[in-house]
Formats: sequence, structure tokens, C-alpha cells
Amino acid sequence: MEEVIYYLTQENGLRFLNLLEKEYQIYLPQIIGEKGIFCDFGYDLPKTDFRLVKYASSKISDFTLNPYRSIEPLKIFYTLPKEKLNLLDKEERIAILGVKNCDLYSLKIQDYVFLGGEVTDPFYAQRRENTLIVSGDCSAFKEVCFCLALEINPFPEEGFDINFSFLDSGFLVEVGSEKGEKIINDGKDIFSLATTEQISERDKKRREIVKNLNEHIKLHSIPPKNNLQKIVKDGFGSAIWKEEALRCVECGGCNFSCDTCHCFLLSEDRFGNAHERVRLWDACLYANFAKVAGGANPLRYRYQRLRNRYLKKFDFFPENIGLIACCGCGRCIEVCPAKIDIRKILRELSIE
Amino acid sequence: MKNPYQPIEAVIEEIIQETPTIRTFVLKPKELIEFKTGQFVELSFPGVGEAPFTPSSNPNIKERLDLTIMNVGRLTQFLHTLSKDTILGIRGPYGNGYPIEEFEGKEILIVGGGVGLAPLRSLILALFSKLEKYKKIFLCYGARTPKDLLYKDQILQWQKKIGVRITVDTGDESWKGNVGLVTSILKDLPLKMDNAVAVVCGPPIMMKFTTLRLLELGFKPKDIYLSMEKNMSCGLGKCGHCRMGKYYVCRDGPVFCFEEIKDIHDIWE
Repeated sequence: MEEVIYYLTQENGLRFLNLLEKEYQIYLPQIIGEKGIFCDFGYDLPKTDFRLVKYASSKISDFTLNPYRSIEPLKIFYTLPKEKLNLLDKEERIAILGVKNCDLYSLKIQDYVFLGGEVTDPFYAQRRENTLIVSGDCSAFKEVCFCLALEINPFPEEGFDINFSFLDSGFLVEVGSEKGEKIINDGKDIFSLATTEQISERDKKRREIVKNLNEHIKLHSIPPKNNLQKIVKDGFGSAIWKEEALRCVECGGCNFSCDTCHCFLLSEDRFGNAHERVRLWDACLYANFAKVAGGANPLRYRYQRLRNRYLKKFDFFPENIGLIACCGCGRCIEVCPAKIDIRKILRELSIE
Repeated sequence: MKNPYQPIEAVIEEIIQETPTIRTFVLKPKELIEFKTGQFVELSFPGVGEAPFTPSSNPNIKERLDLTIMNVGRLTQFLHTLSKDTILGIRGPYGNGYPIEEFEGKEILIVGGGVGLAPLRSLILALFSKLEKYKKIFLCYGARTPKDLLYKDQILQWQKKIGVRITVDTGDESWKGNVGLVTSILKDLPLKMDNAVAVVCGPPIMMKFTTLRLLELGFKPKDIYLSMEKNMSCGLGKCGHCRMGKYYVCRDGPVFCFEEIKDIHDIWE
């Protein structure tokens, strides 16, 4: 596909949404803000965070995108925390705005799991097919962000249908797929071709965030990406697993908020008088994750389960597909009530 | 697209009480489930659960399959309360199965512990259909007590074709055979270790000590085949429960040669 970059003014942002709306249910980043939004359990979410919410045109007066990734991992659009598996309902087509490069990287892991192998997961495949990904450059980062330590840039280069870059005024819009191209073609009148100056402005902004984020990450002394597999494997007997696991409360938050964690449990639920298959997100930090009938449990202790999570990400996936299953989004750091920090664990393992 | 997680119906045609805690369920699935010996299926009952089992019957018999099941967990306890004609859910087969083509021209030592003889019966019956291809087959089987021995009448029949040694951990008044763990009968084997393979199935602790014993006897790590037990949930290499090192047991196993897994931590736990 010919690489063409377009320019969209701030004012035309809402018209872009109108365009998308014709074919897709839009999910849009929304700042939690001073008013505050409470999740189902009453937890007060950070005011500067973004959630991806269903778009209702009446409530939006201005087109905005998130400067950094949303609270929820992108996987929530492809495998639901709990879902019936008995039939393929015709699902709506959705467009997700505010996707960041960490999310796009993680999608490669999810794709390998659910689309790869001998059998394709039809539920995941259908949603993947029905989804338009509108990603965006990061214009700022959170304290927990460390994508660059894993050689993942804070701006998308592949895996999106449409990508937005912030300019001082308006946006640059890049097309990444035929699906994306169709949308742009449908709305030719609101886009203009980007100028060389606009593209250099984008590149300058990208260099700036890379520089700033690198400086921030340096403070955490995360070992180089190419050493991580060896460090985690060699650290099998390290005392750090037991030390850190002492604080773990087995909430599974790191697993559920993780963009690459994919484990699930097949189960059943009662619907009326019938039992139907359901799939639930599972967490390898849970005590029964690996337990078999008769009581044997290769992940009996919490420290084994914590270590298992790292071995899966930094050994299993590199061995199988050559990719580390961590995107540096930092969601696990943020969500952990015990303040278990992946950056610290990797650092300490590398020192040993 | 087909839903790979949806089981098909299978009716229980017969239930055989093998030991006080083990029953064989003869199942007739609605659609043919053709399996390779050593592959496994996921068996379920609505509202109770689903678990992996390896068929114990001859893979060349297509319409039916036997699952020999010990009453040990939530689902198996329930299965043991069921009667003939009950309908269960089944999906599969999954996994690699035993590489029996590679056993041709070789001597085969089969070592079973407890209910671990179930998949091995399927293997033995598969080998019987091409018996002339194998140099020798020798079975060593151990159970806790004489009452816990599986397939006693069938083993008598097998003895006409293959060498068999049996042991129990604890004997009783009528038991005249060997008493001791299965490793105690793994000596002075009438086999040429340089052209032999060993196939082991049983509880993890039994597989561990059997493997160590076989290595002492001169078996090479690549010639020892182990059936690994993990809590496979999906069977398709997706759900993540059965990871062992770089493998998923459901996808890359459940049969591994020791060479493949010897460097992985905690495989016997």
C-alpha cells in the first residue's frame, strides 16, 4: 500500500467521528477528570487516567485523544472477562480510538495465541475482523511506562488501521490497512495531504518523547531487552520471588490488567435450566491455576506462581515466537496493591 | 467457523468396575472420535466440570472408546455415581500421542504405575495389531495393593504374547507375587538397552524414580517416553494452564521423551 499521510484539523475531528459512526460503534478515550468515575466496586480511579467508553455523539463537544494508554488493556475488546461460548452471535463492528503502541505490540501475542496454532479461536477471530483500530502516538507518558526498555516505541508503526499523531494544531493521520483506507476515502473532503513541515513536526515530537521517556526509564535501570530471557531463566533460584511474593495478595490484578496475559478457563454457567459453556479470564497468580485432580500442584506456592508469570513472558514466548510477552505498559505496576514492580524485579535479577 | 470448545455428546454404553476406586467407562460418541494412542480427550458433564483423560482402548476400534477413570477429584467422583446410558460431553482428541512408528524394530519396555496403566493399555493394544514389527514388548506394572491392580484378566491374556512383571507396594494374604515399588522390578530385564525404548506412565513421583532407574539401566534420555500430567483446560494450546518450560503439554505433549524436558525445572511436581 502506498504510504500517504493526511492532515486533519481539530475542528474536523468530530466529522471524522461522524464518518466512523456510520459503520462502527465507536469506543473513545475519556478522561476520568475532576468529576471522577467510579468503577463497579467504588474504587476511585485516578483523575488523569483515560477509559475507553462507548461514544455517544450528544455528550462530546470536542475531539480529544489520550496522551498515553488507557486504563483497560486492549485485549478486553477481543476476549471478554467472562463470555458464553455456545454460539457465534453476530457482533457489532467497533472502532477503538486511543490505542497505543504498547497495545498494538501486545496484540501480536494475543493473535499468536488465538489465531495461531492448529485451531483458530472463532470468537477472537470474528472480533478481530470486526474491529477497526485507530491508534495514536503518545504525547506524554505515565510514571509506570517503560515500553522503550523493551524496544517498543511510544508511537505506532504497524498493526493499526488508522494512526493519529498530535501536532500543535490538528492531527496527522496515517493509513495502515485497507479497512482504514476505506474510511479515509469516504471522507476525502475533511482530510488534506500532509505537508513536509507537518511531517517533520510529527517526527520532532516523536524524538522528544523518546528522549524524555528514555531519561525517565534510565532511573529504573531495567536490563537490556536482549538479556531479559537469560536473566529470568538464570534467576530461577533467586530469593526475590519469595521476597516479592510475600506481599502478593493473589488478586490477579497483574494478570487481568496485562495486555499480553491471555490465560483462560473453560467452565460453565447456568442460564435458565441449561448449562452453557463460558470462558473466563484466568490468573496464574491464583492458587488453583495449575492444580490437578488428586491434589498435585506444580505451582503450589505463591512465589512459584509469581515466577511462572515472568517465565511465561520472558522465556516461553521468546522460545515460541521470538517476542517477549511484555509491552512495558506498566498496568501491572499500577494495579498491584502490594506494589510489586516488574521493573524492580528485572533490575534485581540482573544484579544477582 | 466451528466452535472448538463445544463438546459432542457421548453415551455411556457400559461401566466396568476395575478396582474399588477405578471404573472403565465405555463411551459411544455421536460422531467418530478417531484418536492416536496416547492422545487425550476432554470429558465433561454439564454443571460439574471438564477434565482431560487418555483413552484406554484400542485406537483401531473407531465407534467406541474406553476411559478408565479413578475416583480422585470433583468430576471423577461425580462420574463414578453415573449409570449406563448417561450422556456426557466429549471433545478431542488432543496432543501428540505415542510415536509408535518410531518404536518399530525396537524392544519396548512399558512401565505403568496405578491408573497410569490405562493409557498404556491403549498403547499395548495398538502395538498388538502390528506385533511382528516390534522386537519385544515387556510390561512392568505396579499398584498399591493387589486389589488396586487394573485389567487383571486381560494381563493374563497379554502374558501369552509379551513379558509381564507385576508388583504391589503392599501385599495381602493371597498375594504371592513381588512386593515393592515398581522400580524394584526394573532389574535384570531381558532387554538390550541399546535398542530399546521405555514408555512410562503413572503418578509424578513414580515417573521420577522410574526415569532415574531407567537411566541407571542404560536407557538414553531420548529413549524414555513420559506421559506428563497437567491441568489441560482447552486442549488447544490456548488457555495457558499446562505450560511446562517452552512447551504446552496439551499441544506439544502429553508424551515427551525425557531428552526434551530434562532441563526444565520442577517437571515432577
